[in-house]
Amino acid sequence: MRTSPAKLLILIAILLVIVVELRTVLAFFDVELTVLQGIAVGIVGIALLLVWAFSPLFSESDQ
Amino acid sequence: MTDLFVDSYPKQARVVRSAFLTAYIALGIGALFGVLQALHRTDILRLVESPTYYTILTGHGVFLVITFTIFFLVGLYQWAVTDSLGRGPVDMRLTWAWYGLMSSGTLLAAIAILAGFLDDPPTVLGSELSADVLFTFYAPLQANPIFYVGLVLFVVGTWLAGADWFRTWWSWKQENPDARIPLPTFMVLTTMIMWYISSIGVAVSILAFILPWSLGLTGSLNPTLTRTLFWYFGHPVVYFWLLPAYLLWYTVLPKLSGGRLFSDPLARVVFILFILLSTPVGIHHQYLDPGISDGFKFIVMTNTMFLLLPSFLTAFTVVASMEHGARQRGGDGYFNWLQALPWRDPAFTGMSLAGVVFAFGGFTGIVNAGMNINYLVHNSLWVPGHIHTQVGTAVALTFMAGSYWLVPQLTGNRLVGRDVALVQVVLWFVGIVFMTNSMYRGGLIGIPRRSAEPQYDFDYEIAVGSIPEIRAQLAIGGVLLFVSAMLFLVLILLTAFNDDSEPIVDGTIPPALSGPEDSPRVLDDLRVWIAIALVLVAIAYAFPLANIVSRGGLFGPDIGPFPVVVETVASVLSTTDTGMYLEALVETES
Ligand code: HEM
Ligand SMILES: [Cu+2]
Repeated sequence: MRTSPAKLLILIAILLVIVVELRTVLAFFDVELTVLQGIAVGIVGIALLLVWAFSPLFSESDQ
Repeated sequence: MTDLFVDSYPKQARVVRSAFLTAYIALGIGALFGVLQALHRTDILRLVESPTYYTILTGHGVFLVITFTIFFLVGLYQWAVTDSLGRGPVDMRLTWAWYGLMSSGTLLAAIAILAGFLDDPPTVLGSELSADVLFTFYAPLQANPIFYVGLVLFVVGTWLAGADWFRTWWSWKQENPDARIPLPTFMVLTTMIMWYISSIGVAVSILAFILPWSLGLTGSLNPTLTRTLFWYFGHPVVYFWLLPAYLLWYTVLPKLSGGRLFSDPLARVVFILFILLSTPVGIHHQYLDPGISDGFKFIVMTNTMFLLLPSFLTAFTVVASMEHGARQRGGDGYFNWLQALPWRDPAFTGMSLAGVVFAFGGFTGIVNAGMNINYLVHNSLWVPGHIHTQVGTAVALTFMAGSYWLVPQLTGNRLVGRDVALVQVVLWFVGIVFMTNSMYRGGLIGIPRRSAEPQYDFDYEIAVGSIPEIRAQLAIGGVLLFVSAMLFLVLILLTAFNDDSEPIVDGTIPPALSGPEDSPRVLDDLRVWIAIALVLVAIAYAFPLANIVSRGGLFGPDIGPFPVVVETVASVLSTTDTGMYLEALVETES
């Protein structure tokens, strides 16, 4: 694993927080994401994080 | 590893444990009320009638920002003074006396508040037992005298606690005449100075005006005056919540990061700035109050912006200490050192996330503090958004995280469920962002705070998303927070009963990188700072108070208590929502 479970948990939490706040920020620039789009971004983000954390491709560079 | 606190100071550990226990009970009830509000306001689940919402809201405010925070504070400060001076109080009877006073005060206030749930509350001291006045108890809202008596006992208890710590320090000083005040004790003493200077305002407001009025001794009062006295105290009280969290950030957080505090002198300067700057700014809560001239409000706004300084200094010092710790643990690079921090430790992670939320909430505080933009957010849901990022997370989450570190030292038991504890603090972080983001957004479009029925039938000019979505997000956040609070309480409870275990925690606090010897001794001369603070208070408040009194009179332009006028108002308004609430109020009256 590329990172520790604790760090992964925190990264996922931060990702969720960013998605929630970013939706508001984007709206100030007239970029309006619907709730579903927000959820989709969140799921894709978490999936990418999980892939990054568990993929053997990366674990070679593990310190 | 050194001796545990409970082994070195068993008697003091008992006081600290008792104070924490009271705080945790308040947190449990407060969190329950919180989730009830979140679900009620959003019309998702209504377990009570809407008039009872205000009983719950009063309980939520009082139990969380008075009982939970301040009981945790006195426990933490008792620990800090004992640990840093290496000695107990001069006389433990005084210590138990303040704990007893604070507890009995809390009990009285709680009885008055919770009586609001009764269909037919008893009459006590000449009026019905209830206190649906919210934690700000603005006149002409009137509570039963028991509520105010409870508040007074509580505050007097905190005064005695301060006296106890000053006395302990004084006798330590006799034995160590040339030593600098240890940093944690310095923080305790400066916080208490700020508290003495400011809480006198609320004491006068209650003892001279509100209590006699609720007892029927005086016929009326001047609401602008009592509000101004309240907010004279009400702004410093937010630092009374925050400074114990700062104490943990300055002393424990660097240690948990694996390093030492970056600068002890800077920490002292920060606490002194709070003595000086926190009191002359209370009027910034009254930008929309009539009866105070704009000129004073403008001066207060300027003062308030200066208050950002100590918080920026804190952010700098604490992050620098964390970076130092991370590099001690082998971290390197511009940002890579972040990875070397002990993220698995719930105490560390909880405090760090609390700090992140605090920074974010600080910016929303700048919005509140701006006189013109305040008009946009005043009394809207934005304000509870701000409250929950600051005291509801920066403070509350730090206290929970700090408990994971302290409770094992106070009980001698190993923390149960360290990994669950990590999930708990992370859950709070996510929950608070869900809830406060929806509150901020709702506030910006004008959804009111302090309302059981905020969904009046007009169309809000919604900027982002939709009203049902904002409501759902608020409710989800509230539920996550509630679950997180319950997890916390269960873990602490299990830890308290985890008898046959050895804690794995090291209670020593390493000295700062730059110690007190790097700073002038005048920093420790508390008399100087008290004197300057008093002058600033006089400058900030003499004119506005004189103005208010000369205009409205000391005992006011004949203002009767609120429920008395209700009956007439309710019959006029009976078709509206407000009328329905007022009517329901009258029903509970009779
Ligand atoms: C379980 C977690 C919590 C939930 C679900 C929650 C929910 C709420 C909601 C929905 C309101 C707005 C009520 C309204 O304006 O109509 C509110 C107000 C408030 N909350 Fe919380 N809260 C929680 C925790 C906390 C904590 C930990 C604190 C402070 C330590 C806190 C302090 C306050 C204060 C001071 C108010 C304003 C009360 C007033 O307007 O009189 N809350 N809370
Ligand atoms: Cu304030």
